[in-house]
Amino acid sequence: MARTVEFTDTEFMIAQGARLIEDGKTIFVGWGIPQVVAMLAQKLYVPNVTQLFEFGAIGPQSVLPFVRGTMGGPQNTYRSLQWLNMNWAFSYSATGYMDYGMLGALQVDPYGNINSTFLGGTFRKPERRFAGSGGGNQVASHCWKTIIVIKHEGRRFVPNVDFLTSPGYLDGPGARERAGLPRGTGPYRVVTSKALFGFDERSRKMTLLSVLRGLSVDEVVKEMAFRPLLAPEIGEIPPPTDDELRVLREEIDPARFIIRGEKMSAIG
Amino acid sequence: MTNGRIRKEGDVEYRFTHPDDFREHVRDRKGRAPVPKLVTAKEAVAAFVSDGDYIVYDFSSLTRGPQSLIREVIRQRKKDLWIGAEFTLHESPLLVGAGCATRIDVGFLGYGNYIGQAVCDGRVRTYEWTNGGLALRILAGARGVPFLPTRDLLGSDNMNVSAAKTIKDPYTGDPICLVPALNPDVAFLHVHQADVLGNARIFGTNLFALEAALASFRVIVSAEEIVESDEFRKDPMRTTVPYFLVDAVVHAPFGAYPGAMPARYEIDLEHVDRLNAIRTEDQMGKYIEENIDSVADHEEFLDRRVGAKRMQELRRRATIIEGYR
Repeated sequence: MARTVEFTDTEFMIAQGARLIEDGKTIFVGWGIPQVVAMLAQKLYVPNVTQLFEFGAIGPQSVLPFVRGTMGGPQNTYRSLQWLNMNWAFSYSATGYMDYGMLGALQVDPYGNINSTFLGGTFRKPERRFAGSGGGNQVASHCWKTIIVIKHEGRRFVPNVDFLTSPGYLDGPGARERAGLPRGTGPYRVVTSKALFGFDERSRKMTLLSVLRGLSVDEVVKEMAFRPLLAPEIGEIPPPTDDELRVLREEIDPARFIIRGEKMSAIG
Repeated sequence: MTNGRIRKEGDVEYRFTHPDDFREHVRDRKGRAPVPKLVTAKEAVAAFVSDGDYIVYDFSSLTRGPQSLIREVIRQRKKDLWIGAEFTLHESPLLVGAGCATRIDVGFLGYGNYIGQAVCDGRVRTYEWTNGGLALRILAGARGVPFLPTRDLLGSDNMNVSAAKTIKDPYTGDPICLVPALNPDVAFLHVHQADVLGNARIFGTNLFALEAALASFRVIVSAEEIVESDEFRKDPMRTTVPYFLVDAVVHAPFGAYPGAMPARYEIDLEHVDRLNAIRTEDQMGKYIEENIDSVADHEEFLDRRVGAKRMQELRRRATIIEGYR
């Protein structure tokens, strides 16, 4: 039955990210929004996914609500299969056991290269400085398929990133392997607050796959500083479901520190 | 005293110690005798942290971080420190804000506008090693080898602002990244239990607690609880660090405050929000004055700035105990 659903751009981004995670697989989860995506997915869709965190938690089942900012606290490491440390955690990704990696980003370019280090100016004299790689570089280098979760804002989708913190397809097909990165790895999806992108098999360029129900392709593309490729048929992504919104608002983030954002609506 | 030496390649500086120089330090300067090393934080920091030192710490600002030791470093206004920064939200802004740190190997730079602005203003120099790269450098230091190879960092701009190098791997013929060993001057570990000799136990995950203890010239352990030495021999699987790596043991209940200590006490989110909100020099100065300079030590800080009621409440909230024994 058609009705209007109201949600924030952040809630939509998290919800569509959660729908992408495959059950029975492994996923290396980055700090911040990816943690929330993984929690929602585990709660609603993928009880048998094994999450892995760089601080050495293998297969935790996080306690809700999410304690903002934490990584490695007792809530995030609850009911793990194994507790280790960072060098061992990255061994699981370096040997190919991590099917997916999931990362946030400040900026992303058409090849899925990620900047999380600085914006504007130069490295020594940046206009704005951010936290840097954390473990993002390892996740993007090692995991078979990397999912990037990023707000759909023009300044974030740029022809060239200001600093290449974590590798996408670098400058095109074969570039990862030529650089010495593990064969057959790379960015897989870009989940935004308006759309979903993949990467073209041949050119390795970002390709618009689907948009939030009710948005046009132009509305999505005009906000980007580069023009993505377009899939032959652009799909439609339903807005967050009642279950997704309930779990996000009542169980994961009742204080609404994470899920607040720009208000949106779509036909449910 | 700064051990090892600072190497410079173009615009990049990095710490490097020949493995034999580190071995000789271990031979000549690290005591093997099981002697009591229990001292106050003031004594430990005065004796084992010097201006110009490179420091690393385990674990994070919000979980089991050595916050009472960091506050003591600030109280003593150690100068020109170089930090290996991982899982650090507040330590790097505080150490830079207090004028203690001038270089940061990132890792994760820190949280909030203050530290970002300090980099933009040129008050602190950063080098980008990434979390995995720094952890591997410390592992190399712990294995007594001059470098270790890895299949990340490759193709990224971090390669240009660190001393990571690409070479042709002699086995596959493919490009491979090398990171140099890191032997920090000082490692701070905050642990659940230690004995007076320095045997230490961490319950839960860690970044590189054992690696950092092995690789560092000096190791300061702060512990929530001091236990009998025999406890370690009864359950050796649970020993994180054996005593002969450790130079000083500090008894520091609530030593991770305002962060959490798993199964002991929870985060003080209100206090953390005050740290997160620091943007200006004025706010930074007020925070340091109120919480560090105006109290003589950690005990007085807990007594006068946190209070028994608050600590009791934070203890009560630590309800997750499975796995932490």
